[in-house]
Amino acid sequence: MNWGLLQEGNNSSNASAGAANGSANASAAGGGEVQTLPDTLGSLLGLGQMGPLETFAMAVIASGAVATFLLTLVAVSGIWGKRKITAAFTDRIAVNRIGPFGLLIIVADAVRLLSKELVIPDGVDRPAFDIAPVIMVSSALLGFAVIPMGNGIQIADPETGLAYVFAVSSIASLGLVTAGYASNNKFSFLGGLRAVAQNIAYEIPLVVTAASVVIFAGSLQMSTIVEQQAQTLVTLGGLDIPSWYAFVNPFAFVLFMAANLAEVGRNPFDVPEAPTEIVAGWQTEYSSVYFVLCYLSEFIHIFLGGAIIATIFLGGPAGPVLPGFLWFVIKILAVYLFTQWARSAVPRVRIDQLIEIGWKGMLVLSFANLLLTAIIVGVIA
Amino acid sequence: MSLERPEPSTHDQVGVTERGLDYEAIDDLLGDLVIGRESHLNAEGFVVRPERVAEALDRLKQQAGFDHLSCVTAQEYDDRFESIYHLKKYADPTQEVSVVVPTSHDDPHSQSGNAVFRTADWHEREAYDLMGITYDDHPDLRRILLPETWQGHPMRKDYDKEQPQVVTFREHANPLQEDHRAGGGEGDTMFVNIGPHHPATHGVLHLKTVLDGETVADVEPDIGYLHRCEEQMCQQGTYRHQIMPYPDRWDYISAGILNEWAYARTAEDLADIEVPEYAQIIRTMSAEMCRIASHMLAVGTFALDVYGDFTAIFMYSTRDREIVQNLLEDLTGQRLMFNYLRLGGVAWDLPEPREEYFEKVRDFLDDLPAKLEEYHDLITGNEIFQLRCVNTGVLDPEMAKSYGTTGPVARGSGIDYDLRRDDPYGYYPELDWDVITEDGCDNYSRVLVRMKEVEESAKIIEQCVDLLEDWPEEEREIQANVPRTLKPDNDTEVYRAVEGAKGELGIYIRADGTDKPARFKIRSPCYSNLQALPEMSNGEYIPDMIASLGSLDIVLGEVDR
Amino acid sequence: MIGILKGMATTMKHALDGSTFTVEYPDQAPEVSPRFRGVHKFSQERCIWCRQCENVCPNDTIQIVTDDQRNGEQYNLHIGQCIYCRLCEEVCPVDAILLTQNFEFTADTKDEFAYNKEQLKNVPWYKDIDPLASREPDRGAWIGEGEGEVDYN
Repeated sequence: MNWGLLQEGNNSSNASAGAANGSANASAAGGGEVQTLPDTLGSLLGLGQMGPLETFAMAVIASGAVATFLLTLVAVSGIWGKRKITAAFTDRIAVNRIGPFGLLIIVADAVRLLSKELVIPDGVDRPAFDIAPVIMVSSALLGFAVIPMGNGIQIADPETGLAYVFAVSSIASLGLVTAGYASNNKFSFLGGLRAVAQNIAYEIPLVVTAASVVIFAGSLQMSTIVEQQAQTLVTLGGLDIPSWYAFVNPFAFVLFMAANLAEVGRNPFDVPEAPTEIVAGWQTEYSSVYFVLCYLSEFIHIFLGGAIIATIFLGGPAGPVLPGFLWFVIKILAVYLFTQWARSAVPRVRIDQLIEIGWKGMLVLSFANLLLTAIIVGVIA
Repeated sequence: MSLERPEPSTHDQVGVTERGLDYEAIDDLLGDLVIGRESHLNAEGFVVRPERVAEALDRLKQQAGFDHLSCVTAQEYDDRFESIYHLKKYADPTQEVSVVVPTSHDDPHSQSGNAVFRTADWHEREAYDLMGITYDDHPDLRRILLPETWQGHPMRKDYDKEQPQVVTFREHANPLQEDHRAGGGEGDTMFVNIGPHHPATHGVLHLKTVLDGETVADVEPDIGYLHRCEEQMCQQGTYRHQIMPYPDRWDYISAGILNEWAYARTAEDLADIEVPEYAQIIRTMSAEMCRIASHMLAVGTFALDVYGDFTAIFMYSTRDREIVQNLLEDLTGQRLMFNYLRLGGVAWDLPEPREEYFEKVRDFLDDLPAKLEEYHDLITGNEIFQLRCVNTGVLDPEMAKSYGTTGPVARGSGIDYDLRRDDPYGYYPELDWDVITEDGCDNYSRVLVRMKEVEESAKIIEQCVDLLEDWPEEEREIQANVPRTLKPDNDTEVYRAVEGAKGELGIYIRADGTDKPARFKIRSPCYSNLQALPEMSNGEYIPDMIASLGSLDIVLGEVDR
Repeated sequence: MIGILKGMATTMKHALDGSTFTVEYPDQAPEVSPRFRGVHKFSQERCIWCRQCENVCPNDTIQIVTDDQRNGEQYNLHIGQCIYCRLCEEVCPVDAILLTQNFEFTADTKDEFAYNKEQLKNVPWYKDIDPLASREPDRGAWIGEGEGEVDYN
């Protein structure tokens, strides 16, 4: 076994290592081509053939590691990065007092938010009020289970990976409506209704656009989709341009980016929160820890959106020189940066316009895209 | 010259002659309605019986063309209460007339003018609130500035200040609860309190909103949270010095000098003070700086309402406003509460070294076009912005006039009305600039008017700077010779207005022979403009209502006074 | 679509040029105009206890206590209530009260803002700007004797 490959290898070398290991999880992961993180951990610990118990334990450890990393990423980019980015767009300086580059504001803010009083308003519908933030956070975190993050970091690789991601991330809508309904606040209620209307309207174009990628790749499995994009599309002056689906089908990419903005509720589609209209939408009544959870869920959803985009359009963790994992993070952050950029300059659409754009525009375009892709793939293949 | 009015449209109206307004003709028009005449410094006042107010106003509006009810002033004499309706024409605001309605002291009743002018609604409610005059036929005579539970009418002479005010909390009922106007039993409405603590109300404004789904079925602004008794404070200050610091605090969004000018103009007319030309130019220049600063903030906050809280536009406009404020600070010594104007002039000459100051102003003016270009890229050129703002919050010109809207709100509805040109004061008539109008009548037009007005103000400042630079040193007279104590004659009354940042800012003063005004009434443009909000928003979506509110550009300090 | 892209290009341009316009306040003291009106400074040596400042003050911020010989005993000024209109400085015939450029004052309770004459005397200059120098050319301009009577009450 060549463990060295795990650190610096790419997916294909992991795949061979995984095959050599004969992972217990391999059959579940489909085809046994990819070694997932729990397998890797298991072999690192010398467990050899893992039984269900060991697999479970390793999966928990792996998930813990991934989730911790994500939360750290949220802390850095959500508390510190967001301020710095917004400040850059608005010609300000932003946090720079505590720690180097003001980075310790993350600690200060976390302490501040957690030490605030948890206000539970009168007449809220418990436990729905308490469950809602947890649902939202977990739905976003669950999605990361099947995302290949490069360097073998992937918790599971089921055959239906893409379908699974969309399935779990849309559970968030349930959280939103629960939060809106349970808060016993009219603004929350409006926000919850808006969120559901929006998520339904944009989920369909999102999934349909992703389906066009599935047609190209011929698989719902994340690792296969990533692998397919490693092929060379054209060679320009000695430089191999990989066949990332963003290059193959830029139209689908743009469509997906737009639908994703709506899915994560960012400008121009941030109507569910719309601070100037309905205060803070569904999260109006949440304070302290619950607010932190809401905040986290928003950011993790943005990152999940970024991760999906990176995986199905930008070749996953692929990239020159740097390790794949870093590339993956860079791609996620680029998508995140894009959402912040759009916030700085794009107005919010009205709720009726939003629904209209979703059902009359995006849906039609995404189906057209799907049809065209199917025809093209059918003709070529 | 650009300042000439496009069309003199008042010719066929009663009382209009070549030499000005013929009050005898108006007297004849009103005929038996008139029971007496009064002479105010700005216009003749016709005393009308309290039960025939609407008729008199209607005749003046329909036949004599007085289509602008600028203000309603209520006041108390020893033997009577009095309401004064200050009427003007949108076509020519120098043609003014006052309708004076005395009522008995024991049981003050008078007819409402609401049937003729919608704007009378709020003005009469204020009069009722503070002075306790009851207006018959008024559709909704409630308190407006003070809480509904308030005891007594605080501007009355016999008002007991020591009286305890127990304010009980009462839940707001949904006025449309039984209304299923959306059809069938499905259209249940929901009552929402937008404000007084809400991100988009631009201060402590409370909108009692009834929603039908996402649509606004009914909205009623509830004001008074920022009522600071400005009128009474001014009544307790001496004309010469003590009143001037307060106008800064009405429209406190950097429009201070414009507000001060309203008081200065009124008091100077009252006391017959001539302002030196040099001081007029400085006033004009600094007032236009205030207008730029105020419009910058208006555009920036409007962007906040439409774009969301993370828009860069707000910070960009703040940054540019900051430059104007630095210029004003150099000139006046403060960034917001200028207290720069004095009766008969200004407090200070330009800061030394003058060249440096001119340089700074010119730098700002030179950079302005590029910055405005940037705003246009960010705001007016944006398709989503157009989608949001074109044809929303429509206020048609007839309604705009009836509600007495002025300033950018009226000009955004295509009403060519700007007191700087139509009722000239200061140095404006000598300068070359244009009045901006847009006839879209929607949120987009109002924003566009403000952005274009910034360019016009820049033009004015530029000309003022040129004039000031060439002004001979020995003739730099910044103040007229004004007595230390001003005591205008007893019973002199005057109503004068200037073009503030938000519109016509008028002040009515009645002197009683002492060094303090007997009645000081502020006609706030925001007050009248805000009244038109339901007209613009009913039937539209919540976001459009918020945008309309933003496009009205109200400052609650001026609404509530 | 062009408009949206133009807007986004504008903000990105601002993000990339790296310029900022905000001031790191306590580290970097902001520039204020020499005419700026901050906390008062009072000079008992100059004061002739004419009480004009007390009379002109629009909201009774200044309180002067004299004995029966009209000798000054107390000069109190509530800087938390003051509206910084500068009328007291304008009216003072001997420049005994001046508004410094100092705008930094804090207190735990409102009554700590009621400064007596010693506290007023010790108000520091801001950045060594002498307001009198900046205001010298304009002194005397404000007051016209006019035709009216002089009224000191």
